Amino acid sequence: MSPKACKNCGSSDVDVDQARGDAVCMGCGSVLEDNIIVSEVEFVESGGGGSLAVGQFVSSEGNKNPVFGEGHHGIGSESRAQTLQRAKQHINTLGRQLQMNQHCLDTAYNFYRMALGKHLTRGRKALHVVAACLYLVCRTEGTPHMLLDFSDVLQVNVYVLGRTFLVLSRELCINASAIDPCLYIPRFAQKLEFGDKNHEVSMTALRLVQRMKRDWMHTGRRPSGLCGAALLVAARMHDFCRTTKEIIKVVKVCESTLRKRLTEFQDTPSGQLTIEEFMRQDLDQECDPPCYTTGLKNKKYQQLEIELEKKMEDFEEEIHCYEDEIDAELQNCRPKLKGVYAAYTKETATEVPEEVGGDAISTPSKMAAATDEEQEEEDELEAVAKHFGKQMSELTLEALIKLEQKTPGEEEEEEEGGSPKRKGPTLESILGRMPTASTLGLPESISKCIGEEKENDGAADSGELDLSGIDDKEIELYLLDDGEVKVKTALWMAENSDYLKQLKEKEAKIAKEKELGIYKERKPRGPSKKHPPIRANTADEAIEKMLEQKKISSKINYDVLKDLNVKPGSSPARQPDTPKREASAVKLTGRNRSSPRAPLSLSTPLSTLGKRLQPFITGLPKKKMAMEQAAAHNPLPVPVGNPDIGVVVESGPVVYDDAAEEEEDEEEETCVSAMELLGSNDYGSDADYDEGF
Amino acid sequence: MDSSNDDALDIIITNVVATFRTRCHLNLRTIALEGTNVIYKPEVGKVLMKLRKPKITASIWSSGKIICTGATSEDDAKVGARRLARCLQKLGFKVRFSAFKVVNVLAVCSMPFSIHLVDFTKNNRPIASYEPELHPAATYRIKHLKATIQVFSTGSLTVTGPNVQNVATAVEQVYPLLFECRKPLREKRKVN
Repeated sequence: MSPKACKNCGSSDVDVDQARGDAVCMGCGSVLEDNIIVSEVEFVESGGGGSLAVGQFVSSEGNKNPVFGEGHHGIGSESRAQTLQRAKQHINTLGRQLQMNQHCLDTAYNFYRMALGKHLTRGRKALHVVAACLYLVCRTEGTPHMLLDFSDVLQVNVYVLGRTFLVLSRELCINASAIDPCLYIPRFAQKLEFGDKNHEVSMTALRLVQRMKRDWMHTGRRPSGLCGAALLVAARMHDFCRTTKEIIKVVKVCESTLRKRLTEFQDTPSGQLTIEEFMRQDLDQECDPPCYTTGLKNKKYQQLEIELEKKMEDFEEEIHCYEDEIDAELQNCRPKLKGVYAAYTKETATEVPEEVGGDAISTPSKMAAATDEEQEEEDELEAVAKHFGKQMSELTLEALIKLEQKTPGEEEEEEEGGSPKRKGPTLESILGRMPTASTLGLPESISKCIGEEKENDGAADSGELDLSGIDDKEIELYLLDDGEVKVKTALWMAENSDYLKQLKEKEAKIAKEKELGIYKERKPRGPSKKHPPIRANTADEAIEKMLEQKKISSKINYDVLKDLNVKPGSSPARQPDTPKREASAVKLTGRNRSSPRAPLSLSTPLSTLGKRLQPFITGLPKKKMAMEQAAAHNPLPVPVGNPDIGVVVESGPVVYDDAAEEEEDEEEETCVSAMELLGSNDYGSDADYDEGF
Repeated sequence: MDSSNDDALDIIITNVVATFRTRCHLNLRTIALEGTNVIYKPEVGKVLMKLRKPKITASIWSSGKIICTGATSEDDAKVGARRLARCLQKLGFKVRFSAFKVVNVLAVCSMPFSIHLVDFTKNNRPIASYEPELHPAATYRIKHLKATIQVFSTGSLTVTGPNVQNVATAVEQVYPLLFECRKPLREKRKVN
């Protein structure tokens, strides 16, 4: 850009000469700009007197390696170009299979490029992303392709594809319009082969679908299901007998879905019309959605249930009154309890009258709320049972509840030996209890637990565990005692014998390998190894050491680099993974993203170098970035790079280093050509290209 | 009008997920063999322990990290977590209860009207997304609250968020949007 005003004298009379390429101020004569870059088309004379424009046509797709000469393929084409090429192939294959036109395929390719730029392809199968791009196009264009079609072709779960599709549409901010079932009608109609009447049947089906939409049958449902139902009805209306099986094959829904849609449609008022009436008129009234009507039904049933329950409660009250009387009788006739229990009976005599008056229904809840260590005498139960002449198992729930009523009185007594039993919070759980804790005799358990509890309280507790509101005794319920542990151990070993066998085999293998000295510590995905910083006296040594440590890129001829008697500002090779930074972790590729990890020499930190060097040092990765990927992350490496570089260039006049680095830069930027120049022939091309590099 | 309706809306919390750490290594086999209500999955490397009082299922890893699910309120989750820690203490591990954090809260709510999902999605692109082929509900994600709301056409909502406050705010936020797209109810039809 030619400057408008001179910096020295302020005059705005500046002469820009394109031929010489400089800008000179007319007032004071100072040269303002030198070597202006000119962008004009130049012509060259060709044989025969014509003139040709100098230059080449470059594809708008921005191939990273412009084809020159005869146009070899794949001369060190960079990975990005390869990825795009592959994607294009996939898109075309898939698109052809689904009969999509070229315009759609091109759009899909553009979507893929956008996705690649935003790194959405990372961690996803390429085919999934390709399918998602194609489906995105289908939705925006409105073609009648379903996600199911794609999943059929690829043999992939449709929900997996759906997930990819949703992520893609969200990240690319492409708002696909909602699926209209009307779109699918022509496609399905064609498959059903209605012959000449195809158009009429389609129109009827369309009207039916619209009717369904008005009647709120289509929200939350698969559009293909609605289409299937509509087509079935339309076919029948026009005297085609298409069976449900045929429809299902075309529409790809289940038979029960189809049937359900049909019944729902039947329930709508339009479903009641005859064929002629339907064709003629369009009912104004709209229906409620079918789920709403079922909701109403459910509400009604619930109300009925509540009423029934109330009645049940009334009856239960009566029954319990009778039970009370029976129980009073029981008391008198019960056999005397001996030993320890004698003490209990005295207490129950006082406590029972209080309890008896209460509502029987509330007692189970009361007991659940009460402490869990209630005691229950099995003797008592058996005695009761005998009295009634029944067996234990036949005791009714109510009778047990009755018995429990006495036990709240005995709750306070817990410290005894005897045979206290643990009880779960509710009676129902007793009856359907798990085998582990319930019926084994547990004479020592409570005393042991109590003993432990005292120990634990005394022991040095975790500084932070707040015990308020925690009932320790309840917690103890969750622990088994020694006998139980043994039983459980045996059971568990038996169950998991396969797994244990595998474990043993693995260990045996490892032991053997260790003996033989072959054993490799194969840690499952440990963190990436970080090399210790290389300490070297000169840059050459540093480079050598680093190169010994790692062979980083295949595109650089390391031997040549070693010969260079130059102190590069940053590591010549492409950088491997550096320790991840928080924000950039996700976005950094395995390659070269972050700071030049240049442990070349620790002699001088970067800051002591002249300012002139810094742009070169940090500028290098920037350039590489721009080359490789869409430049969304340029700002990232720079701040990342700077603090990390603790090492760099040292002795030698700055000027030379600059120049040297410039060479270095050029070499690496166009590493492809450097390789060519230096004779390495990884790619089998021997031509020597000197143009412009 | 909206605020009065909010008062009437019942937001029922169905699940609260919380994590905490015991700051000590746990021997899973010991826990598996000496605890009741435990399921040991050695292939995965964790123990599932179920508590009854606050109905909670906890996944316990040997590193000492524990995830509790199934609670019905944040306080419940905390009580359950502490119970669990106490239980592990009893088993003999030097447990320290630290870094308790409620990670996810799931709640359901029901609107008194049906919702037209297509309109709702159209009005709220791209925050809302609706794929009838994949899922019958429309998903509405509120980024700054980190909450996700799934809207069904019957009017029920499922809300997930990092804590109960966010969930309530999310429902309040989305209510007016839903109200716009509601389906005016007709007279009751005969239930067949």
